[in-house]
Amino acid sequence: MIDLIGGVPLFVLEFGDELVYFTPYTITLFLLALTFTVLVLISRPEKQIDIAFGGDAYRAKEISISEMRFRRFMAIACGLATMGAMVTGDIFNFTLFTAMVGITNVGIVAAVKSPHVQDAAYQYGLVALAATVPLFAGAAVYAAVTGSLSMIELMKGTVPAVPLIAKGMLMLGVIGEGMAPFYAAKAEMFRAPGAPYVIMCSLSSLLIFLRVVEIVMLG
Amino acid sequence: MTSRSSGTDMIAELVLATLFGLLLLGLHRKLIARIQRRPGPPVWQEILHMLKFSFKTTWIPKTASPVLFVGVVLIAIGIWTAAFYVLISGGSLLVILGIYMLHKIVEHGFGLSSGSPYGKYGGVRSVISAASEIPLFVSVAVIAVYTRSLDLSVIMQYQQVHGPLLIIAFPAACAMFLVILSKMPFGPFSIVEAKELVSGYKTEHFGIWRAGLEICNGLKTFVLLAVFLAVFIGLLSLPWLLVGMILMIVLLAFACAVTPMMSPFDSVTIQMLVTGLMLGYAAVVLMVVHP
Repeated sequence: MIDLIGGVPLFVLEFGDELVYFTPYTITLFLLALTFTVLVLISRPEKQIDIAFGGDAYRAKEISISEMRFRRFMAIACGLATMGAMVTGDIFNFTLFTAMVGITNVGIVAAVKSPHVQDAAYQYGLVALAATVPLFAGAAVYAAVTGSLSMIELMKGTVPAVPLIAKGMLMLGVIGEGMAPFYAAKAEMFRAPGAPYVIMCSLSSLLIFLRVVEIVMLG
Repeated sequence: MTSRSSGTDMIAELVLATLFGLLLLGLHRKLIARIQRRPGPPVWQEILHMLKFSFKTTWIPKTASPVLFVGVVLIAIGIWTAAFYVLISGGSLLVILGIYMLHKIVEHGFGLSSGSPYGKYGGVRSVISAASEIPLFVSVAVIAVYTRSLDLSVIMQYQQVHGPLLIIAFPAACAMFLVILSKMPFGPFSIVEAKELVSGYKTEHFGIWRAGLEICNGLKTFVLLAVFLAVFIGLLSLPWLLVGMILMIVLLAFACAVTPMMSPFDSVTIQMLVTGLMLGYAAVVLMVVHP
């Protein structure tokens, strides 16, 4: 329907049907994912302050070295998956990266010893798991109808038009990974200390959503 | 020489846009005060704030994550500077709106990085108010259906031929206006800066870091209002663009002055209702324009 949604591709790297490309839009998103991943690498977590209700007492939460290492690893994995989703030109790869973002988001808070955070992570995990059904089904319908999963082919308009249901399923799958209205459990996860890692949870969902907006407008 | 000259021009444009954005925020405060029968601060108060914070003592709290605490300020200024240049070069609307959504992450980073409970809840509220961004993308989809492009330059050309999108796609303009309203201070959706959270996500950022945040707010206000006018009115000369922005600030100030701040639950509920309405509208537009 609309040509060159994200701008003219600046760089295309082809591996047969698989490809990676940068447009002004995707390079903006990629650079932001890269910036925050570097921040995860070089930042130390904050000491979150909790105030006792009804009194003057407060305490600072400390993050142990082993917990910090695990959470930093998961946050970097999340950043890498997000970067992959930003630059891939293949719809199936995009869905794989999206599913990986969902898993790593649970991993980022899995080591936090707080019942609230653990409950929220479990509930978010269930929603994200359920969301993979429309996510992969959407990609399957794309492949079945167009015979290709290449975004460049969709951009060229040389393949049959993608049905609205496929676009809807792909969008629903991504929204289920942590966008409104399925983000209630995810917001509770942000109670967890460790700001540089927790931020990756919200950043990854947002960037994936921004990318899928571009994808559903192709073809 | 040419490149140096154009580089100087670009920096001058950026500085002027920031100062004008801060002036608009000051006007917003003044108008709200006058509507509520208070004297209010002078219109240049936000510029004074920015200058005052630039020379205040600066610190990083002991509990903060220092790199993130400082990094988000630079990222905030960086993303809105990028949005400004995309705007003046007539680039992709999608990039600007992507940056608009990423501002949520910056607010989240501001809030969480300090370790303060007030900042943390401001940051969490910022994330849950992400529902306000969905109508924005529905508006963008409607614009794309009409203009078949998301390039600002093409959208403005379309309006020169077919008339303003404000008339053609009035509900989309209303939805985008609501999105801008959700970003204005003292508005019904300003739950991230509610008084029970002191200053919300920016509670602990002081001195030069707060001055950086003020610069970001000025630039953000300028960009959002200019994008609205470019997308729904079309190409305007500079004096008319500035007049249009002032008129929009008057409208926003009235909306903020006469509506109380909602609870986080009500704020998100209303934003989700608007999203539902906009999805219905977008479906109708799609069926009518491209049957």
